[in-house]
Amino acid sequence: MVTPADTPGALDGVRILDLTTEMGQYAGKLLADLGADVIKVEPPGGDAARGVGPFAGDRVSRETSLAWWYFNANKRSVTCNLDEHDGRWLFGKLLAGADCLLESFDDGYLDERGFGYEALRERLPNLIYVSIRGFGASGPHAGWKASDIIGLASSGVLTLSGDPGDPPQMLGGQQGYITASLAAAQGATLAIFQQERQGQGQRVDVSMQEALSIAQETAMPQWDFQKTSRERVGASARLPGLGTYKTKDGYLLAMVGAPAGAPWSVLLEWMDEEGAIDEMSEEVADGLRALNWQTLAAALADPAKMAELQKLFPVAEQTLAKFMAERETLPLYEAGQSRRLLFGQVSTPKDLVENPQLQARDWFFELEHDGQTIDFPGPPYRLSETPVRLRRPPPTIGEHNQEVWVGEVGIPADDVAVFSSEGAI
Amino acid sequence: MTGPRPLDRIRVVDFSWFGAGPIAGRTLADFGAEVIRVESEARIDSLRIGQPIPPGKSDSYNLSGYFNNFNAGKLSFLLNMNAERAQEVAYRIVERCDVFLTNHTPRVLAKWDMGYEKLREINPQIVAAYQPMQGVEGPHRDFLGFGAVLTPISGLSHLSGNPEHPPFGVGTNYPDYALNPGHTVVAIVAALRHRERTGQGQMIELAQIESVASTLGPALLDYSVNGRVQTRDGNRSSWMTPHGVYRCRDEARSHPSEPGQNAEVRERWIAIAVGGDAVWSALCATASGGGGAASFVDDVRFATILGRRRDEAALDAALGEWTASQSASDLEATLQAAGVPAALVRDAEDMLDHDAHLAERDYYAYLDHPETGRSAYDGPVVVLSETPGELTAPAPLFGEHTFQVATEILGYSEEEVGELVASGALT
Repeated sequence: MVTPADTPGALDGVRILDLTTEMGQYAGKLLADLGADVIKVEPPGGDAARGVGPFAGDRVSRETSLAWWYFNANKRSVTCNLDEHDGRWLFGKLLAGADCLLESFDDGYLDERGFGYEALRERLPNLIYVSIRGFGASGPHAGWKASDIIGLASSGVLTLSGDPGDPPQMLGGQQGYITASLAAAQGATLAIFQQERQGQGQRVDVSMQEALSIAQETAMPQWDFQKTSRERVGASARLPGLGTYKTKDGYLLAMVGAPAGAPWSVLLEWMDEEGAIDEMSEEVADGLRALNWQTLAAALADPAKMAELQKLFPVAEQTLAKFMAERETLPLYEAGQSRRLLFGQVSTPKDLVENPQLQARDWFFELEHDGQTIDFPGPPYRLSETPVRLRRPPPTIGEHNQEVWVGEVGIPADDVAVFSSEGAI
Repeated sequence: MTGPRPLDRIRVVDFSWFGAGPIAGRTLADFGAEVIRVESEARIDSLRIGQPIPPGKSDSYNLSGYFNNFNAGKLSFLLNMNAERAQEVAYRIVERCDVFLTNHTPRVLAKWDMGYEKLREINPQIVAAYQPMQGVEGPHRDFLGFGAVLTPISGLSHLSGNPEHPPFGVGTNYPDYALNPGHTVVAIVAALRHRERTGQGQMIELAQIESVASTLGPALLDYSVNGRVQTRDGNRSSWMTPHGVYRCRDEARSHPSEPGQNAEVRERWIAIAVGGDAVWSALCATASGGGGAASFVDDVRFATILGRRRDEAALDAALGEWTASQSASDLEATLQAAGVPAALVRDAEDMLDHDAHLAERDYYAYLDHPETGRSAYDGPVVVLSETPGELTAPAPLFGEHTFQVATEILGYSEEEVGELVASGALT
């Protein structure tokens, strides 16, 4: 993705201190990508999330975590030891010039160090204090420990995922952390908007459990109305043409005949053109041609009609599975969609990097890093006047110590050297 | 009594349907915006005719809990975009709103002539948010899809679930509920902030494939840097062991189950995530103090993180043996008291009826609705201490506010409203 270097950011001029680790780092990323000056405040050895892989070239070090790169590009980094008096003094100085603080510590951690919300609200009434926790900042479970899977489990989302014969299955890509961070970014932008209009800071309290709850889909109102529990159904392929098919090189989701997509007659025409239904009897082919959302709905209400239909299903399923298995995913996906069939490529990370649509839209940034040019995943949205830009590579630990502590906070350079040798920075 | 909220005096026209658009609109409404949800019978939001509905009721557009949850606090305005004069009404709404929000396809929006270039002519300061599945440009621009298709296309299905099964997805249309609405709200509020400072509106384009793929950055970088194609790994973690979901003692059902479910038994599971030796020791201390067969406690294979990773399958089996005889909710409390990240795998019953923490935080809102009665809604996505979000009204009845919006917001006289109704634009 190439954007002009002189465009403004939507959050230009907002300074944010990001003390989060895995659970909240995506919030800081979203805000930094929108132009905020996000300073990652790391303990002297570096943020614990720097230890989370994958690593560039599989070389494990504090500077090679690809996950860390992804979530921390566009941020600056300073180090500061909150466990020491001098470190806390320095952090207090830095905080005085910030609009917003993001943190995902365990309940009580910052309070014990003098930086709890209650301690700060009088001193810094304009500060926006964003806390991201598994269970939020109040209530009987506020002190409970959480990681991604704990958020998914505690929110009613995990129970809906997976095959009934397996334990409930986690969603990929740490969606608990992502969703909690997304709630934090929503809260932070709302609070910034409020602060600039009305001049007032506040606490933004994120609970991963609550942020995920709406992703229970129909399960929540179903219990509320009907007192029945929705359970995980796994692949749930009940009808031919609806499900995940093995292709020559991967998988394809098909929803033939679902509302808005083309029906079986369109699929059969295509298969016929390619000689894929030569062995299907005319009777079965005619039956399938007549199969669409409406006829299916009618059959569902009429057991006799359903019994007739069901005679077609084994042949239909077998023929379609063979058609899919002999073809590659991307051509199937594109050709199917061009016929208005609801087909979806089951994309691997490789497929996404090579995805024709993302390529044509120039979605990836190019990141120059260590002499390499890397396809760096693009943003979730495009803003016409304030486009997201990749302004900075991921910072090394404390890369901006001089720039920030000396240049911006105003600590004399000699003092910074002393603080550094004593472990405060 | 509602206090000040961040989006007071912001007006939004929510020209969307299903989940990704309406949920974004709901968050804006929760935080103070006046949100006009534009609907029509000709192009009914399928969620209005979906399940679940209260037992013993039918034949109404106002009963679906699925729809209602995503639309609380909005005004419902009926406008049939196929009617001759509909476009002039739509443009008048755009003229009088701060934010335009839609997840209709580029094809439909072109037909309605509601692309950003047009909207900007009508209202140069509009913040116009579009949520096309694949983007407004590009070779796949017109591909069909919704949440169920997006989940595989965007890479989430491949990375979710048991590696021994095909990648059949995550059980819901997940991206519709958290990712796409959440990203959209962040972009809209940031754009409003930019407008407040500069007077400049803009277009937001959230291509849903990009919105989801952007959350999978580490896996994409693993391919673009290392050439490795990550795949789903069940409930395992790249650095925590043990890490999984373990069966606990079944419970009897307190209520009848859905048809097709096992009527007698309610499966109970617990998620446990052990990140290091200290947590492992806490887990072992808890296990050796309680009942159950905790064979893993003194097993030398599991004494170190390397050992636990090497014999992860055996460890999972031993842990599962230990949890099998225990009450999941008791075990959750015991483990959390010992500092071990653990959670009962909750279902909606647990969330609504048995979670004292959510109840104390007042997360779910219970609102009186004329047709569904008192019913539950998800609360605001985040808590703001001084200007909290609030659900000020239940979901609107279908067309409940058409006249009010037409006269009070759009400034039509009663006579003009009559003409628009006669022309088929308003109903």
